[in-house]
Amino acid sequence: MNELLAMPRQWLETAGEIGLFARDVLAEVWGLRVMRFFGESLRQAGILIVGSAAIIWTLMFILGLQCGIEGAYFTAAQGAPSAAGLFTALCDLREVTPLAFGYMMAAKVGTGIVAEIGAMRISDEIDALEVMGISSMTFLCATRLLASWIVLPFVYAAGIGAAFTASFVAVVRQVGYVSSGGYLLVKAMVMATVVVLVACYYGYTASGGPVGVGRATAKSMVLNLVLVHVVGMLGTAVFWGGNARAPIGG
Amino acid sequence: MPRLRSVLEEAGEMVLLTGRTVVAALSPPYPYGGEFVSQFLFVLRLCWFPLLVSTVCFCYGSVGLQAADFLTIFGALDRLGGIFVLGAIREIGPTVTAIVIAGVAGTAITADLGARKVREELDALQVLGVDPVKNLVVPRFLALMVATGLFDVYALLFGIFGGLVASIQFGQPLGPFWANLFANATTTDLWGSILKCTLYGAITAIVCCYKGMSASGGPAGVGRAVNQAVVIAFTAIFSFDYVFTQTLLATHPQILVIK
Repeated sequence: MNELLAMPRQWLETAGEIGLFARDVLAEVWGLRVMRFFGESLRQAGILIVGSAAIIWTLMFILGLQCGIEGAYFTAAQGAPSAAGLFTALCDLREVTPLAFGYMMAAKVGTGIVAEIGAMRISDEIDALEVMGISSMTFLCATRLLASWIVLPFVYAAGIGAAFTASFVAVVRQVGYVSSGGYLLVKAMVMATVVVLVACYYGYTASGGPVGVGRATAKSMVLNLVLVHVVGMLGTAVFWGGNARAPIGG
Repeated sequence: MPRLRSVLEEAGEMVLLTGRTVVAALSPPYPYGGEFVSQFLFVLRLCWFPLLVSTVCFCYGSVGLQAADFLTIFGALDRLGGIFVLGAIREIGPTVTAIVIAGVAGTAITADLGARKVREELDALQVLGVDPVKNLVVPRFLALMVATGLFDVYALLFGIFGGLVASIQFGQPLGPFWANLFANATTTDLWGSILKCTLYGAITAIVCCYKGMSASGGPAGVGRAVNQAVVIAFTAIFSFDYVFTQTLLATHPQILVIK
């Protein structure tokens, strides 16, 4: 019986630790203590733009293509081919772009953070920071969170553009527009925050030599994938459960 | 241009590794049976739970709720079963399976092989006359292909379960959902879905094994290898998905007719 319970207990423990860790990092950002290292935040923001933006847009573009072909066939089958634009609007704007964004955040930014901070932990650089009197949590984790908040809304907005261009290419019809961008940004930003926090946690607590860094990276990916899906579902249920809010036919 | 060149070189090396893996898998002797079974169980143990949560969430939220909203406008909510053929079987099931396998099992494989590379265990194997491709890559390649194909079936079941939940939420009797689902589902859809997933597994295995076996640069190196592996695997999977879907739809026009 004890063995059976060991695994859920371990999950709960990790969940609790991540919660506490997230609270600490959020408090650093909220209390503006992170402003002491604003330069570092800007540097991280620069790294995000140069390193991750292009690959996120690429994935969103490819998924926009998918949406386009499926949408064109689906609406044609309902006898309303000219509504393909509406389908892609729902598909791109509400579902696929935030999810694609979440996936790529987890894959590129999340694992990158784990690998980087984990390597620092293994080579005792984090302890060195503490010895020099710099709060390592503020300097490493809070700055990254702030950087992602600064940069990602813009990356995301541009990504929506990429996805729509792709759907347009695929559907070759006029793209219908449904105003729901505001909600969407909330969903994507919640995903981004979750991903950054989980990644910082796994990097910050990495142990066990070079092997440990790799293992921590893989573990963070598991959790991030599940969380991205859960956030996506909750967002959909909260914002659009039971009402399409699409301007056709009354 | 050196960056572009290294990208091309890497892609070429992955193709070469694919060739070597296939040759090593087919030519005797076949020493990889035990490792294959243990890798298969490893993937199974690691992935079942994330996959369950992901497919139910994705199919309930993204496909179920949004499509039901969309169909309510047309007053054709009983067609929800039809879109699940299109959404869950043709697209979401395989895609979510591939993402979970790449994100969960693929990263674990890269971390494992990367650690062996960094600790010079792979070199030691070669000195002992054991071929790493035959004994490490081939079993992972086969295990991931089989596991991804089988997981696809599981993802379809749970995806359709998510659709059922959405139907019930909209106060819809389940009869029309099933009737529409089975009227529209074809054998082509099913084998297309499973074939696609099996190939995703192959792509993931090659990318992740390659990245793990070429990891270098100390502690940061393994982490970086995992990072790059998962990014390359995702991009490759989605690009392949687009080509495969277009080809399948173009060569089997009968599956486009929604009844």
